[in-house]
Amino acid sequence: MVALDVLGITDSDAPVYRQKQEADTLVLGTIHPFRKAHRSVLGKLAQEFRLVTSDRRSWKILLFGVLNVVCTGCLLMWCSSTNSMALTAYTYLTIFDLFSLITCLLSLWVTMKKPSQIYSFGFQRFEVLAVFSSTVLVQLGSLFILKESVERFVEQPEVHTGRLLVGTFVALFFNLLTLLSVKNKPFVFVSEAASTSWLQEHVADLSRSLCGLIPALSSFLLPRMNPFVLINLAGAFALGITYMLIEINNYNAMDTASAVAIALMTFGTMYPMSVYSGKVLLQTTPSHVIGQLDKLLREVSTLDGVLEVRNEHFWTIGFGSLAGSVHVRIRRDADEQMVLAHVWNRLSALVSALTVHVFKDEWSRASLSSGVLPSAPLSLSEYVTAAAVFPAAPSRAQGSEPTPATSTPAKPSSPPPEFSFHTPGRHVQPVVFQTAHPHRPLYGGLQGPGVRLGLGPRGPTLQAYRTLSAAPHTYTSGTYTGPPRP
Amino acid sequence: MDEKYSSNVISSGKLGRVEAPNARLTRYIVLLYFTKMLKAFGIFESYDILKVVHIVQFLFILKMGCAVILVFFQKPFSSGKMIPKRQWIKILKHAVISCIISLLGFFGLTLCGPLRSLLLFEHSDLVVISLLSVLFTSSGGGPSKTRGAAFFIIAVICLLLFDNDDLMAKMAEHPEGHHDSALTHALYTGIAFLGVADHKGGVVLLVLALCLKVAFNTASRKLSVEIGGAKRLYALSNLVSAVVLLPWVIVLSATTESKVESWSGLIFPFAMIIFSVMILDFYVESICMAKLETSRCARYGAIFLFLNGLLLANFWTHPLTGQIRAISTTGQQSSTEHVLSGGVLVSACFFIMADSILSAPSSKGQKGTLVGYSPEGTPLYNFMGDALQHTSQSLPRFIKDSLKQILEEYDSRQIFYFLCLNLAFTFVELFYGVWTNSLGLISDGFHMLFDCSALVLGLFAALMTRWKATRIYSYGYGRVEILSGFINGLFLMVIAFFVFVESVTRLVDPPNINTDMLTPVSVGGLIVNLVGICAFSHAHSHGASKGSCSGHDHGHSHHGHGHSSMEHSHGGHGHSHGGHGHSHGHGHSHSSGGMNANMRGVFLHVLADTLGSVGVIISTILIRQFGWLIADPICSLFISTLIFLSVIPLLKDACEVLLLRMPPQHEKELNFALEKIQKIEGVLSYRDPHFWRHSASVIAGTIHLQLMSDVVEQRVIQQVSAVLKDAGVNNLTIQLEKEAYFQHMSGLSSGFHEVLTMTQQMESMKYYKDGTCIM
Repeated sequence: MVALDVLGITDSDAPVYRQKQEADTLVLGTIHPFRKAHRSVLGKLAQEFRLVTSDRRSWKILLFGVLNVVCTGCLLMWCSSTNSMALTAYTYLTIFDLFSLITCLLSLWVTMKKPSQIYSFGFQRFEVLAVFSSTVLVQLGSLFILKESVERFVEQPEVHTGRLLVGTFVALFFNLLTLLSVKNKPFVFVSEAASTSWLQEHVADLSRSLCGLIPALSSFLLPRMNPFVLINLAGAFALGITYMLIEINNYNAMDTASAVAIALMTFGTMYPMSVYSGKVLLQTTPSHVIGQLDKLLREVSTLDGVLEVRNEHFWTIGFGSLAGSVHVRIRRDADEQMVLAHVWNRLSALVSALTVHVFKDEWSRASLSSGVLPSAPLSLSEYVTAAAVFPAAPSRAQGSEPTPATSTPAKPSSPPPEFSFHTPGRHVQPVVFQTAHPHRPLYGGLQGPGVRLGLGPRGPTLQAYRTLSAAPHTYTSGTYTGPPRP
Repeated sequence: MDEKYSSNVISSGKLGRVEAPNARLTRYIVLLYFTKMLKAFGIFESYDILKVVHIVQFLFILKMGCAVILVFFQKPFSSGKMIPKRQWIKILKHAVISCIISLLGFFGLTLCGPLRSLLLFEHSDLVVISLLSVLFTSSGGGPSKTRGAAFFIIAVICLLLFDNDDLMAKMAEHPEGHHDSALTHALYTGIAFLGVADHKGGVVLLVLALCLKVAFNTASRKLSVEIGGAKRLYALSNLVSAVVLLPWVIVLSATTESKVESWSGLIFPFAMIIFSVMILDFYVESICMAKLETSRCARYGAIFLFLNGLLLANFWTHPLTGQIRAISTTGQQSSTEHVLSGGVLVSACFFIMADSILSAPSSKGQKGTLVGYSPEGTPLYNFMGDALQHTSQSLPRFIKDSLKQILEEYDSRQIFYFLCLNLAFTFVELFYGVWTNSLGLISDGFHMLFDCSALVLGLFAALMTRWKATRIYSYGYGRVEILSGFINGLFLMVIAFFVFVESVTRLVDPPNINTDMLTPVSVGGLIVNLVGICAFSHAHSHGASKGSCSGHDHGHSHHGHGHSSMEHSHGGHGHSHGGHGHSHGHGHSHSSGGMNANMRGVFLHVLADTLGSVGVIISTILIRQFGWLIADPICSLFISTLIFLSVIPLLKDACEVLLLRMPPQHEKELNFALEKIQKIEGVLSYRDPHFWRHSASVIAGTIHLQLMSDVVEQRVIQQVSAVLKDAGVNNLTIQLEKEAYFQHMSGLSSGFHEVLTMTQQMESMKYYKDGTCIM
């Protein structure tokens, strides 16, 4: 019987979802210990590496990676021969270029992989983690440079300027060549989406007055210069000043001061990117889409049949794609599939991976009654949960149970949302929306569909309570403009 | 010295005046140029005269001469109303403070020379006020003002550090030159006590005198309005200053012999200095502030003054200009003092740039953009993020609240106590290293500071975990602990890498190691770290014992060694708002088992430092007993390898959580639960199952289910919730989809391809169901 069922599934050409999950279940159920023991970590790594190198674009990245390793080795030898801390700090930027090349290779790998059952959201977060690791490692390296520089202020050693200028020009040339030749998609995105560092801000302010004099430079310098090109040029400038002062006046302390300056500039450049990618890893709601989410959730609250929206979570999966989950409480006489379709239709314009949980109040009695039957400890925990819910969110919907118990146990920990209307007739103050930062052009495509306010054709409805007295009040207090409800 | 006052608004007639055409402005600019040139020349002459005349006598002659001329021309007694006694007391105080500031300025002139005195002391009030507002208030004038302040500070640092002034001539000249009064001796003693050179002390003195002058000018504006004008106050103040200085000059002349050969030769230079520095500069400055703007007057005045100072400094010791100078001493012509150097040139350029930037008018505020109108008709504006004022509580209150929260929780209390112990040991080591001038101790102290920074990071993450959820952090702050563990893991990898590189370097070229101070420092560090390891291992065993008492022990009995994986935690409830729920939440948070990523990161830091201390002790013993210098790099290689290997499990676990992987501890249970969901009556299929661990106590999940048309949705939700809750998911969102849903989506004209796929799937499943029934 079991074998016949399996053969029947294979022969009947079942759709993608069920067949894929069945196959995964069977593989995980039976062949799991053998497959795990058979393939080692290096074997899997070699297989993934072979998958990445099948694309021709990765050869260019690998070539630049090999050149980077050779260049970094030469620079480290020159750092030890010149005993220069500033050149060491500048060499860490070259090591950061190596990290960015690894991130670019990982980005190619991510585009080839499909979501699996283990990593169900896909592999886009590997890019975010790689960007975060690279920027944090460079900041920690800058921290070590600062520590060594403070020690050198106490006891300043001799700095030999034989290879200092040669090392500066080799590092500058190779860094600019890597930055301008290899298109690094994750770092381009992060440098545009993150907030401005202090070095970028000052150079942008100078560039704005400079481009008033020479308009031809505005395509390169405005609106913001590339932070990686900027940190490399500023570091080379500091090393040039160091070389000149050591050669002319024998100021060895200038090397330490220049190392501190390069380390502080590196820290200031990498810190906004760490903060941005760290927030993506922490599953936070992006700040620039909160306004649009507020507007969409307010529209969802005004749909027919919806009582409140709660337990809403929105976060970014990788760079640019939004995921979310919402709990919607509806009336007992409302059609669940109709409300689900409308809510999903509103929110899916902005949120790509969306899950909407629709529940009614009439199942609280059934939940309590079904909770008593299995075992006494579960019933006790259920009563404790119900007692904890009651002071936090008293229900004021007409005709509902005094203690609504939902299926989400984490509900007491979340605060009542600011945009839900507990009292339908209450007047809500208009909210001033905050648009996105003008330096985020990549989000323009997402915002365009987000502001679509058109209502689709409504299906035939059998609702007896369409002309609810609360609906006109809710409509007049809102700030959106659209066709009036029929 | 001059005391510049801002012009009176009423007397200058600035209100309602339009800007004058450029021809008249050019005339005033030329007038300002010649005035500043004469002032620079006067200050250079002052420096020459101060070599001969005492500073108090010099100041008295300046004040008396200025007072005589101003009383004659300005007529402060006959014009205006009579001055009451109270205002005379204020004028007296004004005169005394003015004398003090002038004495400080001229003393700095004798120390630094005329060019540096011009660069440091002759800044406009507007520039200094703008500089101080950038430095000490958060509402600066934007990035350009910040850049101007940075240029000013760089210029002062260039004068302090990179200016090669002629120190030998100054040191040779000091004992016989100016020690003929108690005041001069006290000032020299004060500067010598600070340990800096006289030139650098003069720079600091001039900067302080500049701040005093600006504060004095700002405070005396009210007095000038009361008396009836800045000019009248200037005349009266100079007169009272001369009266105040007269007894001092009489006593000074009686007690010391005069070095002036003939006073008649000094009449012309004194007259020139009084005219150019005290009178002409004041009047032309007042006129130009009235005609031009204040900021433009400050900018042009600074540029003209500094450039003329550079020009005069270049040609002052030239033999051609010796004839122009009043004092033609042959001995001083040959000496080169206060010459031009690269540092002072760079400093002058930076001062000119700083004054140009800081005196420019700053753009104020940001405007909001009109986005529409509210239903009541009021306009709505959209502000940028930086215009919104965040309410921030004060720092002492934040520290007090943080300390209270730290001492409540067990984990953060342990970290805090160990942080205090570690910081105490670090400062003892740093002070002893500075005292004995030992670079090794200072280096080890900084390494301990690194461990303290890791502890601070872990402490702050443990503190953030219990913050309430916000709109941006909708799941709460529990995930910060995992990110903090990840950062600490990266930190340890960097430490291991640097120790490895240093070990390889020392393996090739072993240095001579002084083992005298290493043993007590290592033993002390070992004791401190062993205290930390005992505390954290107690936390580890405490958590493990609590974890074994939880109700979910049956699911983990097969785990032989729980060190490599994060144990399952029972607590599903956060901090609720009710009283009973609050204590309930605390009870559950105490029973959470195992060390989370944050505590593991901190523990590994302490372990790494302990291994470092043990390695130093072993290598010291080997070097002392057998003389093996190679033992130190070998021990360091071993330590760095141990650190690296111990960090890998922490990084692996943190990466799995950060990448939203299905939790490994629950993988079998979740797969089993998904099989059970498919067997629930009415469920056709599922798609998009996502299960991830959000924080140590929250496992979240979302799933889409496809149902038959005649099934009651809420019953299926209850059954699926029960199944997934048994599998460990405690934050669940279930979306139920029927055929009616896809019909509604088709009607709404969104997601056409997805709707088509779902419809085909529904039809296939129905056919299969019917086929099964037939069989």
